[in-house]
Amino acid sequence: MKVTVSTRHSDYDAIVIGSGAGGGVAAAVLAEAGKSVLLLERGRDLSFETVGRDHLRNQRMAVYGHNAGPDIDGNPRTLEAGSFPIPVGEALGDLRLLRPHEPGYQNNAACVGSGTRVYAGQAWRFMPQDFRMASEYGVPEGSSLADWPIGYEDLLPWYEKVEWEIGICGDHRTMTHLPAYDKPYPMPALPLPHKSGIHKRGLEQLGWQWLRVPRLINSVPYNDRPGCINCQQCVGFACPADAKNGSHNTTVPRALRSGNCTLRTEVMAERLACSAGGRVTGVTIIDANGQRQTLTADVVVLSCGAVETARLLLNSATPQEPTGIGNGGDQVGRNLQGHYYPGAAGLFPDVMFDGVGPGCSIATCQFNHGNDDIIGGGFLGDEDIVTPVTMWKRFYPPDAPRWGIEAKRFMRDNYRRINDVTGPVQEIPSPAARVNVNPQVKDKYGIPVAHLSGATHPETVRTARFMHERAKEWLRASGAIKVWGQPPPRYLSGGQHQAGSCRMGEDPAISVVDPFCRVHSHDNLFLADGSPHVTNGGFNPVETIMALAWRTADNIVAKW
Amino acid sequence: MKCLRALLDTIIPEDDFPGAWEAGVGDYLGRQLASDLAKLLPAYQAWLAGLDDEARVLHGADFAGISPRQRTALLMRIEQGAVEAAWQIEPAPFFRDIVEHCAEGFYSDPGNGGNRAGIAWRMIGFEVSG
Ligand SMILES: Cc1cc2nc3c(=O)[nH]c(=O)nc-3n(C[C@H](O)[C@H](O)[C@H](O)COP(=O)(O)OP(=O)(O)OC[C@H]3O[C@@H](n4cnc5c(N)ncnc54)[C@H](O)[C@@H]3O)c2cc1C
Ligand code: SF4
Repeated sequence: MKVTVSTRHSDYDAIVIGSGAGGGVAAAVLAEAGKSVLLLERGRDLSFETVGRDHLRNQRMAVYGHNAGPDIDGNPRTLEAGSFPIPVGEALGDLRLLRPHEPGYQNNAACVGSGTRVYAGQAWRFMPQDFRMASEYGVPEGSSLADWPIGYEDLLPWYEKVEWEIGICGDHRTMTHLPAYDKPYPMPALPLPHKSGIHKRGLEQLGWQWLRVPRLINSVPYNDRPGCINCQQCVGFACPADAKNGSHNTTVPRALRSGNCTLRTEVMAERLACSAGGRVTGVTIIDANGQRQTLTADVVVLSCGAVETARLLLNSATPQEPTGIGNGGDQVGRNLQGHYYPGAAGLFPDVMFDGVGPGCSIATCQFNHGNDDIIGGGFLGDEDIVTPVTMWKRFYPPDAPRWGIEAKRFMRDNYRRINDVTGPVQEIPSPAARVNVNPQVKDKYGIPVAHLSGATHPETVRTARFMHERAKEWLRASGAIKVWGQPPPRYLSGGQHQAGSCRMGEDPAISVVDPFCRVHSHDNLFLADGSPHVTNGGFNPVETIMALAWRTADNIVAKW
Repeated sequence: MKCLRALLDTIIPEDDFPGAWEAGVGDYLGRQLASDLAKLLPAYQAWLAGLDDEARVLHGADFAGISPRQRTALLMRIEQGAVEAAWQIEPAPFFRDIVEHCAEGFYSDPGNGGNRAGIAWRMIGFEVSG
């Protein structure tokens, strides 16, 4: 691969579309290498105050809205009715018409930093086995399970870069499920909350591995920003101390500080611009005033997140690629995946809550692999502090009173005694779980919206049931006097951990990008977000997304 | 309004901590019925009318006029779908929705209008810093 610099003068060396986890990294690496970069973001740059602390409208509990975008109005998607177990949104013929905060929409966020503005910052390397799932387990019928074309060792240098340069705290000595670390984390693990100590003893009693959850949080001052003050409103909210490390306060400022990057917010990429020969020359954007403009660049990097990157490619059909750019093999948008989150809640005899945030500190990777007849697995961890209304809606025992003096007493006596453990399941991809576009439904810019259909492979549901049982076992070992919860049914997954929609591979017939995340049919179009993930590990994906984007961007620079 | 207040205070009654109304759940609901839940306003009105009718059929007084014990017993029957009056709206499912809205107002952040001065959080021990 060689990036050919067009003879015509372009507006920018590179345009990066999307300022989230992958896009922030790509912009920083390219700009620091001296390339002129335009970073486009459809959302706004949100202050701490704007994100706010609304317990009913945040990215964790989106009852009536959310706090990190996209705007509720003007950004619909459609969903095949069978893709969700209950009717969601509004009926639209046979389909469901969804707003961004509604279940089934598969939202992450839309703002500078995207999900990283409000995330929990759990920072996991995938395991070596996660990159070769088909070789480890075989391919179950009806699934598109495959190996990544790269392995753990290929990504390792960039995992380390993310850990040191973006900033991850943790205790590498406890990461015994991985090959030994060459470098420790740059910051020690966060203080252990009281309840995490109890859950750790539960794991020890079971003889299961335990580890300290690594997080993209400054446990001590780092990179010229302060350390975590252990507040109680971490996941779903912005950080009051600016100690949570997301794209908005790490990679995007790095890109801007280089002097080579322009950030434009509230700008929507409508479609890729192409020459008469079908070569990508830039992008057509629509700004907040509805002005349409075409901007040119030698290299274009899509970092819109798994759903929107697929949508943008499909909305960019050319005479050469009439079904969408990169879609010659009919692969764009397939294999959409995220994470099933089985878990369970328990009631403890003693108070568990000590108010020390963020909360999720102890986990076990005992069941990520090697589970008899289960394909893969996932980790289980304790939970970040749960807001009272989230406790009421998600973790309240199903048989406890819901109203009257008994209900009030129950919350009063037990809010501090209820705890849950949960974790992401490695999903088994299905080619039918898919992002398409719906030409009948347009967003506020007049662009055809994403249409979502299919569901995860049944093996995912089976793994989730298995992990649900392990969660209950752990809670009992930690001393819970009562445990409850249900394993999840089958549905289309994606959401905050969305990935896989433009998978990476050697063979253009069954993949969209090559092992360096270059779209097979183009020499200057790259993806730097979750979309190239062949599988998504039994771990939160963001450290892998950042590491892969870094590797991709370094490679673009190296071959430029 | 009297009916709504009596209803909310039966769902979350006063003890050594305030009940729903004093904690601001009425304000929460007022805001919500003027915005996110505007579509439910007619349902609320119909349900509250049904509640008063039910109290009159059983006790000869509207809901706010019967004793707290009678209110609780009445809501327990409604929860089971055992009603005497001619309701304009299916009573049991919408009662569950009202309970949910009431809890949202009581337990969510004070910025939403309920949980005045964080009183519900103080009660359950959700301490906020930072
Ligand atoms: C509450 C919450 C908690 C989370 N916790 C964790 C965690 O603990 N650990 C973890 O690993 N992950 C976590 N995540 C998920 C994490 O944020 C995502 O995995 C990650 O952000 C995905 O990166 P990405 O680069 O694929 O896409 P994104 O980060 O979503 O970036 C995509 C960006 O592109 C923009 N965009 C899309 N289309 C266009 C267009 N056409 N024009 C212009 N801009 C566009 C979007 O607005 C968005 O800003 C969490 C997410 C949330 C919301
Ligand atoms: S727990 Fe720490 S990192 Fe998380 S928001 Fe609070 S202060 Fe920030």
